[in-house]
Amino acid sequence: MREVLPACTRRRAWAEAAYCLLSAVPALAGFLFVVVCLALGSALTLTLIGAVLGVLFLVTGLSLACGLGTLQRRLAQGLLGVRVAEPAGPRPAGGLFARTEARLRDGAAWRAVAYVLVRLPLAMVGLYAVSWWAVGAVNVIAPIRWAFTPDDLNLVTPLPWGGSPHVHSLPGALGTALVGCAILLVAPWLTRAAATADLALVRALLAPGRLADRVRDLEETRALAVDDANARLRRLERDLHDGAQVRLVALAMSLDMVREQLDDRDRPELRRLVETARDNATEALTELRDLSRGLHPPALDGGLPDALTTLAARSSLPVDVTTDVPERPTPAIESLAYFCAAELLTNVIKHSGATRCGMELAAGDGTLRLRVTDDGRGGARLVDEGGLAGLVQRVRTVDGTLEVTSPEGGPTRVTVDLPLHA
Amino acid sequence: MRVVIAEDAAVLRELLAQMLTMRGHEVAAAVADADALRAAVAEHRPDVTVVDIRMPPTHTDDGLRAAIDIRRDHPGTGVLLFSQYVETKYATRLLAEGSAGVGYLLKERVANVAEFTDALARVAAGGTALDPEVVTQLAGAGRRTEEIASLTGREREVLTLMAEGRSNAAIAQSLHVSAGTVEKHVAAIFGKLGLPASEDQNRRVLAVIRYLHRD
Repeated sequence: MREVLPACTRRRAWAEAAYCLLSAVPALAGFLFVVVCLALGSALTLTLIGAVLGVLFLVTGLSLACGLGTLQRRLAQGLLGVRVAEPAGPRPAGGLFARTEARLRDGAAWRAVAYVLVRLPLAMVGLYAVSWWAVGAVNVIAPIRWAFTPDDLNLVTPLPWGGSPHVHSLPGALGTALVGCAILLVAPWLTRAAATADLALVRALLAPGRLADRVRDLEETRALAVDDANARLRRLERDLHDGAQVRLVALAMSLDMVREQLDDRDRPELRRLVETARDNATEALTELRDLSRGLHPPALDGGLPDALTTLAARSSLPVDVTTDVPERPTPAIESLAYFCAAELLTNVIKHSGATRCGMELAAGDGTLRLRVTDDGRGGARLVDEGGLAGLVQRVRTVDGTLEVTSPEGGPTRVTVDLPLHA
Repeated sequence: MRVVIAEDAAVLRELLAQMLTMRGHEVAAAVADADALRAAVAEHRPDVTVVDIRMPPTHTDDGLRAAIDIRRDHPGTGVLLFSQYVETKYATRLLAEGSAGVGYLLKERVANVAEFTDALARVAAGGTALDPEVVTQLAGAGRRTEEIASLTGREREVLTLMAEGRSNAAIAQSLHVSAGTVEKHVAAIFGKLGLPASEDQNRRVLAVIRYLHRD
């Protein structure tokens, strides 16, 4: 039954017609605004005086094109049920200048401009296809029109060269209605063709297409994941500090107060039991303290230089720490650098047989460099499953590098380079 | 002793107050943040305050900053900092103004109530109470390892107890030796480290700490 029904009775056909009709308005207005903005922008940018204004126009034009792209994607999803993923916008970080530059370099925005330009003729074709629906409908109701105004009845043709012949009789009116039906049968296929062509264009120009976009997207989500993981560890450490650790301190203290109340003479075994319980609570506290230090060392709150000094202070080997970090890295990078330093120091103590260890930390040109040196026996190698290889893996999660120079007989030097921001 | 407690965890704050009251001390106030602590000390003029380092509003070193202010504005009030971690930089900031009437203990030391109240009493009386952990870290940070290495095991124990602020008699008691033996050890330590000998407890502690944390 469905197959026999004319296409114009289907919901999808109506949706396609609505899509063609609704997207014609933003297509025309958008074309005008974007072309004007980009033309003005380009012209002004060429002159020395208007450059700032020109860039402003360019950015406005690009943003407008992106906005139109978003609108078009929503129309496609709302009316046609076609979901086209949104390309990742430029990185929101930085000031006005950085944002402007990011927008100008944004490939997705320029592709949106291409869409707006190509879209205009296609929108006109779509509008013409929609006109077939209207013309068909007007012809179908010709008998009714004839009943009211028998002297003024035309057969309206949608073709540009068809003209509009006059109809004088009732059979003529019925014939006109038949022609209207024929037009209505064809109209949905025209709107479908226009909508399909437009969808192809949307997919080609408004979707996140190229590899570069994908890479940038992945970089951004990775940075978010790294920062988020770090923030979680921090929260966990704070929760332990404010929760379990406090309870344990209170428990150990209460147990000691109980112990004091117990008289040694009549219940010595009870007193010993309470003592053991208290000692266990204290042990648990010590273990918990080491655990939380591994999650997020509290000294990191005051920055890497403080944290490294504390690390060196706790070490059994003399460590010379020098730091020069004028710009503070993000918390995730600070944590990573700290754990690298801790792991490398442990390696020095365990394997090198060194008597001194040097730790240098310097930041510049967007890079944080940690260098750990020792005067030990050397011969350190990057082996699979080894501690150093594990560090290399961790450093790579933020595009960092780790280099080892360790000739037999020493000295060993390990250099870790990290970006200041994940 | 008149005591003011500043600790943001209610469980611990109330337990500390209860414990001190049970032992016959007066808890003038028990507050939960650094500003309330400053106000309470100004109002009650206690002999000593027990101060958590990590407190609101910033949850970093608010307690330490309040402690330094209190030592400056109310010299009659001793300050015992306690914290779940020992941080060298906190210790050096606290001791920068001198070692009289200050203490720095790990929180878990309250698990020995008697020793904790002893330390509190020492601080209230203008003495010093440093956690052994603090002493170890200061020694590490000071990088005076060669001279420290020249000390015998016993002398190192005595040095640690000395830095904690204990008198010769107290050291003798805790090591189960005679006071004369301790005096001999102390003289040897001062000799090996090249420090002027001193009988005054605070100057003694200060000398040790200055020595330990000399760059």
